[in-house]
Amino acid sequence: MRVCCGLTGHLELARRPDLYGRPVIVGRWDEHVVAASEETSPFGVIPGMALRQAEHLCPQATFVLPDEEATARIRELISAALYDLAPVVEVRDEGIAWLDISGVATAGASIRSARHRLLKAIGREPRLGLAPGPFSARLAAARARPGRLLRVADAREFLAPLPSRELPLDAEQLERLDLLGLRTLGAVASIGPRELESQLGHKGRHAVLLARGLEPDQLEAWRPPLFTSAHRQFVEPVEDREALLFVGRALCGDLADELGLRGAGAKHVRVRLEVESGEPDAGRAQGAHSEIRESIVRHPLSSAAELFGLIGSWIKEWQPRAPITELWIELPVLEGAGRRQLRLWAGGDGSSEEVTAAMERLQERFGDEVIWKPSSA
Amino acid sequence: MQEVALESAINSIRVRFGSQALTRAAELPPSQPWSSRTPVDGLTGIAGLPRGRLALFTGNGTCGKLTLALALLANATHEFAHAIVIDGGGFDPWSLLPFSPELGALTVVRAPAPEIAGEAAAALARAGAGFLLLMCAVPEHWLGPLESGASRSGTVLVAVVDAPDRALAHASSFSLGFSRRDWIWDRGQMVGLRVTARCIKNRVAPPLGETELEIRYPLGNQPRSDYHAYVAEVPTPVEEMSRCASAVV
Repeated sequence: MRVCCGLTGHLELARRPDLYGRPVIVGRWDEHVVAASEETSPFGVIPGMALRQAEHLCPQATFVLPDEEATARIRELISAALYDLAPVVEVRDEGIAWLDISGVATAGASIRSARHRLLKAIGREPRLGLAPGPFSARLAAARARPGRLLRVADAREFLAPLPSRELPLDAEQLERLDLLGLRTLGAVASIGPRELESQLGHKGRHAVLLARGLEPDQLEAWRPPLFTSAHRQFVEPVEDREALLFVGRALCGDLADELGLRGAGAKHVRVRLEVESGEPDAGRAQGAHSEIRESIVRHPLSSAAELFGLIGSWIKEWQPRAPITELWIELPVLEGAGRRQLRLWAGGDGSSEEVTAAMERLQERFGDEVIWKPSSA
Repeated sequence: MQEVALESAINSIRVRFGSQALTRAAELPPSQPWSSRTPVDGLTGIAGLPRGRLALFTGNGTCGKLTLALALLANATHEFAHAIVIDGGGFDPWSLLPFSPELGALTVVRAPAPEIAGEAAAALARAGAGFLLLMCAVPEHWLGPLESGASRSGTVLVAVVDAPDRALAHASSFSLGFSRRDWIWDRGQMVGLRVTARCIKNRVAPPLGETELEIRYPLGNQPRSDYHAYVAEVPTPVEEMSRCASAVV
């Protein structure tokens, strides 16, 4: 396993790039510090301490309220941006982006692209580390200069001199390690997992494995979002096509905003009209009072203009049998907009599905005989 | 401030013309050449045919350009998921058989009109076909979409024409001119020809002059391991090297 880690600082801080270079503390009053910029470190501010204590230590800092929703959106955007660079990508709110580049043919190009995309997303040069696993890669990245990559060939050798407080243990457990004289990861690695398990419980065993560079943790692969929809119910049933187009355009705008925030595009578009009464059109009907039209698109649609270009053309030619009570636009299949993992494949096999679809479209337009596949038989 | 304005302009282009209309250089496919393992690789200057660019094989009459293109096509069927021929009429896939192609990867688009050929080539290049062999004229207005589609997906594009029109010549990034020097006779039977292949345009590397190829027509069924015997580079004597000429269009 080869894991590249990009460290960018907590994503809460990325919400306010205008405050880069100044001491910033993110947290709610009477609660704990969620994130603190590097400029607060000399004053002793660390995430997790009480906000009042942080204010006492660094009164000149700018205090910002956390926004979990906005941070989650940034995380999704970064995940979508890195998605086509490695088979497994994981991004955490703490500002850690891991890419498992094992088996990637052009690992160097992936790392360079990851650096550029993180810089674009966050507005700051990330620190990069390349190591056999996520833990050692994160520690390597933390010791790299901004915009530079630190490579680690032997994880155990690299970890040995580092302080044991780098282990993911709580303050009490770290203090016990200190009392036991285990102040470096090398010291932790030298004792048996069962011995430390008897002292710290399950986390002790985990800590020994981490210190030995055995990397017991697996990355959780980010997957593109799957489904979204928007709908509008009419108080009075609508017959006017212009009104329907107006509502359709507004729904497309809403969906495009959501897709933009999630860094996604629609591969499958479905429009459903709920009609007041009457028989639905043959071939389009699914329920007794709804008419459906859907299509799979080859390139993900992500903007309002793209969505309305398709949906508007349907609405213009649609002939509903009865007044419409509700309009639904559903996007059942989403993927990272323009970010499929095609480059990870060799010989163009990744886009095979796209090519087959393009051939089918040509056959629809010009007849079956336009495409011919010779066979040895 | 300037950066915000630029970002806004980029977004508006994407909204107006689609998310694929504008691609950042960092998002473009890698520019590694496709090694065709033919003497053509030595003439491109990058050790292979450029991906995402149009390569032209030109020459009047029988000069070996089609045989070389078929050799490339057969090779591509083994390396790409889709190797596609855009045929305006007259392409016989069975002429490929001596080159032992992988027929499962081969598709022939039979375009009765240049307009259909252009649309099919642009659509398939945009979709990401690995190798496209153009054997007919493409209308000028399809060359732009074809170029941009291939550039985005990294498709290897090869066009075989007797004499390219100005638009096609302009659109190509690498152009190879073939001219026949003499026939090869063996025991009273014509078995091939000697041709001069000259690089007449190269946008991907400095032009590298010319070479002499010996192209032997496939006779009977031979295994693919003998494929190199069909198209072979003739070693150029040292005194002739000084007379090699190259030009850029």
